[in-house]
Amino acid sequence: MTRRPLLLRLVDELLSGRGIWPAVPAIVVLVVVAVIPFGVLLSLGFSDIVVSRGVIVSQELSLRHLTTALADPLYHTTFRRSLTLALTTTFFCSLLGFPVAYLFLIGGPWVRRIILVLTIAPILTSGIVRTYAWIVILGGRGVVNATLMEFGLISQPLRIINTHWAVLIGMVQIHLPIMILPLIAVMSRHDSRLEEASANLGASRLATLRTIILPLSVPGLGTGAALVFTLSYTTFVVPQLLGGGNYLNAATMVYEQVVYSLEWSKGAVTAMILMATCLAVLLVFAWLTHIGTRWTRVAQR
Amino acid sequence: MTTAAAPIPATGTAEAAPVVAIRDAVKRFAGLTVLDRCSLVAQEGEILTLLGSSGCGKTTLLRCIAGFLTPDEGEILIDGRDTIPVPVNRRSVGVVFQSYALFPHLTVAKNVGYGLRMRGVPAAEIGRRVAQALQTVSLTGFEERYPAQLSGGQQQRVAIARVLVLEPRVLLLDEPFNALDAKLRGTMQMEMRQLIKRLGITAIFVTHDQEEALTMSDRIAVMRAGRIEQLDTPEAVFDRPASAYVADFVGASNFWNGVASKGRVVLPDGQSVPTALDGEVRVMLRPHNVLIEPAGADQAGWRGSVRFRRHVGALMEYEVELADGASLRVVALRDETLARINVGDRVALRLRDPAACIAFPRA
Repeated sequence: MTRRPLLLRLVDELLSGRGIWPAVPAIVVLVVVAVIPFGVLLSLGFSDIVVSRGVIVSQELSLRHLTTALADPLYHTTFRRSLTLALTTTFFCSLLGFPVAYLFLIGGPWVRRIILVLTIAPILTSGIVRTYAWIVILGGRGVVNATLMEFGLISQPLRIINTHWAVLIGMVQIHLPIMILPLIAVMSRHDSRLEEASANLGASRLATLRTIILPLSVPGLGTGAALVFTLSYTTFVVPQLLGGGNYLNAATMVYEQVVYSLEWSKGAVTAMILMATCLAVLLVFAWLTHIGTRWTRVAQR
Repeated sequence: MTTAAAPIPATGTAEAAPVVAIRDAVKRFAGLTVLDRCSLVAQEGEILTLLGSSGCGKTTLLRCIAGFLTPDEGEILIDGRDTIPVPVNRRSVGVVFQSYALFPHLTVAKNVGYGLRMRGVPAAEIGRRVAQALQTVSLTGFEERYPAQLSGGQQQRVAIARVLVLEPRVLLLDEPFNALDAKLRGTMQMEMRQLIKRLGITAIFVTHDQEEALTMSDRIAVMRAGRIEQLDTPEAVFDRPASAYVADFVGASNFWNGVASKGRVVLPDGQSVPTALDGEVRVMLRPHNVLIEPAGADQAGWRGSVRFRRHVGALMEYEVELADGASLRVVALRDETLARINVGDRVALRLRDPAACIAFPRA
C-alpha cells in the first residue's frame, strides 16, 4: 500500500473532522499571536536587557524588575485604582444591565428587537469614537454643563471631564453591552411558566425577580461580569482619553513604560502583574458562579 | 378564612353555592375570539374536566381562572366573589402546569415550601407542612433532591405537593399527564383522582385526551370553538352526547346516514332507533354496539365486507365496507368466531342495542 504524502493526509484528516485536527488552524494562530509573544514577555520581565538602536544586544536572567515593582508604592496605588475602577464598572454594568435583560425577558417581540439593536449597535461602533462622544457630552462646554447652566442650576461649568467620574461613566457605557448580551442569552432560555408558577404560589413580581429570575440568571451574570471585568481592568483607551492623560491605570502604565520610557522589562513585569491579578479575580468570579449554579450540576437521573 | 364577603344564600336552600362560577366569559386575542360567552359552574369537591381539541379555548379558560389572563367580558367567581380584581398572587387557586414548572434551582423541600415562604409562614411550620405534603404524595425522603434528579412522575407529585401545601380552594391542572409515558400516565391518573377525592378539593382539569377525561372526571365540559358544547357526567357525555361533535370527539363513533320518519330511523338490520327528528339524520353507532358475524349465503340484512382488521389486545377491531361504500368500525372481544373473520370476508352486522344509538340532524 502506497502511503499518501503527509500534506495530503493532513488535509484528509482536517476535512474528516476527527481528533484535534479541526482545531489546528486556531491553535497555530494562538501560538503565533499569544503563546510566543507571552514567552517573549516573560523572558523580558525576568531579565536585564541592554537595548541598542531598538535591538536587544544583551539579556541575562534577573528578578530585579519584579521585586522593584512589587515594592514600588506607585504600583500599589495604580493597581488598586485599576482594580477599584474595574470592579466598580462591573458592579454598575450588572446593576444597569440586569433590568435591561429583564425587560427583554418580559417584553414583547418589538421590545426585544429594540433592546437587541440598542445593545449591539454600540459594539459595532469603535470604542474610541464612543469615548470621544463622551468628551463632547461631559466637556467644559459639553452638553451636560451647557444644559445645567442654561437652566441656571450652576453658574460655572462642573469639572467632569478628566476626573475619575468621567472615566467611570465612559467605562460603564462602553462595557454595558458586554454585560447585557450574556444576560439576555440566559434569560431568553427562561421558562415563563416559572414566573407564572411563582405568582400562583403567592409571590409578588419583586419576590419572583429576587427568588427565581435572579438565581437562574447567575450563569449569565457570571459570564458578563468576567468579560466586563477583564475588559475594563485591562482597558487603555477610556482612561487615557477621559482621564485627560493623568489618570494612570495599569494598562496606561504599561503603555508609558514601553512607549515613552522604553523600559521594556518594566513594562513586561507590569503586564505580567496585570495578567496575574486579572486571573486571580476571574478565579474568584468563577468560584462565586460555581456556588451560585450548584443546582445545574446535580447528578441527572 | 374570613367569610365577611361571602354571600349568604337568601333562602338557605340545600343547593350548595358553586365553588367556581364562570359567567359569559369572553376572551379575544388579536381579534380572534378564543372564549365565546363561556359559562360553567364547578361544585364543591368535584373534578371537572375541560375537554377539547387544541385551540378550543380550554387552556385560555384555565388561565383566566388562575388570573394569568383577564377575560375581556364576563365574570369569574370563586365562592361567589368576583376574582377579576384579585391579583394573580392573591388567588386561592393552585395550578399544576403541563411542564410542572418546578424551580430547577430549588430542592424538592424548597419548591414545596415556596408558597408558604412567600406568605411569611414561620420556618418551623413550613418544615412541618412541607413534610406533611410530601408524605401525602409519597415523596418523603426526597426533600434534598433537585427537580432534575427526579423522574417525570416524581416531578409531577412535587408539583402537586407544592400547590396542595397551600390548601387552595380550587386546583387547576393543565394537561398534567402529557409529559408522562403511556403506562405511568394511567397509574398517575388513578392516583391523582384518588388523592383529589381524598382531600375533597374542587379541581378543574384540562385535557385533550377523552380517555383521560372519562377516567378522571366527575363531570366533563366538552369545549368547541370557545364554547361549552356539553357539560355532564362522563357516562352521559359518552352515552347521550349532545351533538354529533361530542359523539365524535368522546369515544370513537360511526355515523350512518339515514332518514327519520314517524319518530324513528330504520337501520338496515331491521331494528329502529327512536328520534324526535324528521328527515335526513346521522345516526351515531358506537363501534362496540355493532355485532359482527360471518355472513351466511342465504342471510339477508345488513351486509358488508371486511376491509381491514387489527388486534387491540383482547379486542378485535374491524373496518367493514358497506354496500353503499360507507365504512363502519366494529369493536368486539376476540373469540374463536371472530378470529375466523379475515380481510375480504363477507360479514353480517347487527345492532346490539338500538336504544343506545342517537340520531343527529344532518348538516
